Amino acid sequence: MVAEVSDEELMGQIRNGDEEAFRILIERHQDRVYGTVARMVGGSGPEVEEIAQDVFLRVWKAAATYRAEAKFTTWLMTVVRNLVFTRTAQRARRKDIDGSDPVDEETGESIMARAPDPAGRTPGEALSFRELERAVEEACAELPENQRLVVHLRQYEGMEFEEIGKITGMSLTAVKSLMFRARETLKKKLSGYLGASK
Amino acid sequence: MEKKRSSEEDLGKELEALLAKASPPRAPAWFAAKTLARLRQEEVREGGRSWWVGWRWVWAAGAAALVAAWVIWDRPKAGMEISDAEVFAALDALVQQDEENRWWAGL
Repeated sequence: MVAEVSDEELMGQIRNGDEEAFRILIERHQDRVYGTVARMVGGSGPEVEEIAQDVFLRVWKAAATYRAEAKFTTWLMTVVRNLVFTRTAQRARRKDIDGSDPVDEETGESIMARAPDPAGRTPGEALSFRELERAVEEACAELPENQRLVVHLRQYEGMEFEEIGKITGMSLTAVKSLMFRARETLKKKLSGYLGASK
Repeated sequence: MEKKRSSEEDLGKELEALLAKASPPRAPAWFAAKTLARLRQEEVREGGRSWWVGWRWVWAAGAAALVAAWVIWDRPKAGMEISDAEVFAALDALVQQDEENRWWAGL
């Protein structure tokens, strides 16, 4: 069995143009990057995929100048943050924000709603699960960008506040303050589901 | 690694449990392959562009050299002066030619 190569070693190989090392790096971090982009941009689909690909292309280009001064994931998430913030600012300027699910043109039915449930739940359970999922997504999407990022990195990526501070370029106090405000907002928006989640 | 959690600083157990039920989407199938394909595509495009950019400078330098050579070749030579006598002789020759032409034409 081949010992797992560290991200830093992979970056060293990528610097020399090793595409196989790059493929390993992508496969290792694709869910993390895609999930973060999806949560920040809202939804999933071609735009999210394109931004996630842009992140990795930037990693490839930056490999020549990459210095392992911080944890690789911290650096990677900083790249994600910069790209997502730039893209959302561009999108806001174009004013073409549309948070709805993709809809079947013929039936008008939500494509996400009719997708088979991966966990094998009954249609009724799946429906209430999707409702909950959508409520959480919407509540997160309504948070200001910085709060959304802090919540995502802490909740889903399990990052320390110090790391989040490095990614967002904020002090520890500022990050904790954002987390506090996000918690208060989420509590209000999801109050209807909080008792039932136990 | 288990992260240290503080309910005061974090979302709180209840909210965390709720958010855990809606985990973010995973990357689609073939994501890595598609990213690598896009990388190759962009490298080909950028390679072509850098070749053109490189040659553009060669073309520009060549054109600048030609213009400079023409300017140098065309400028009046130092010390080259035409005397009045030469100018009058040239004018006389023109008048003479004109008179001959008129004579031959029977005018």
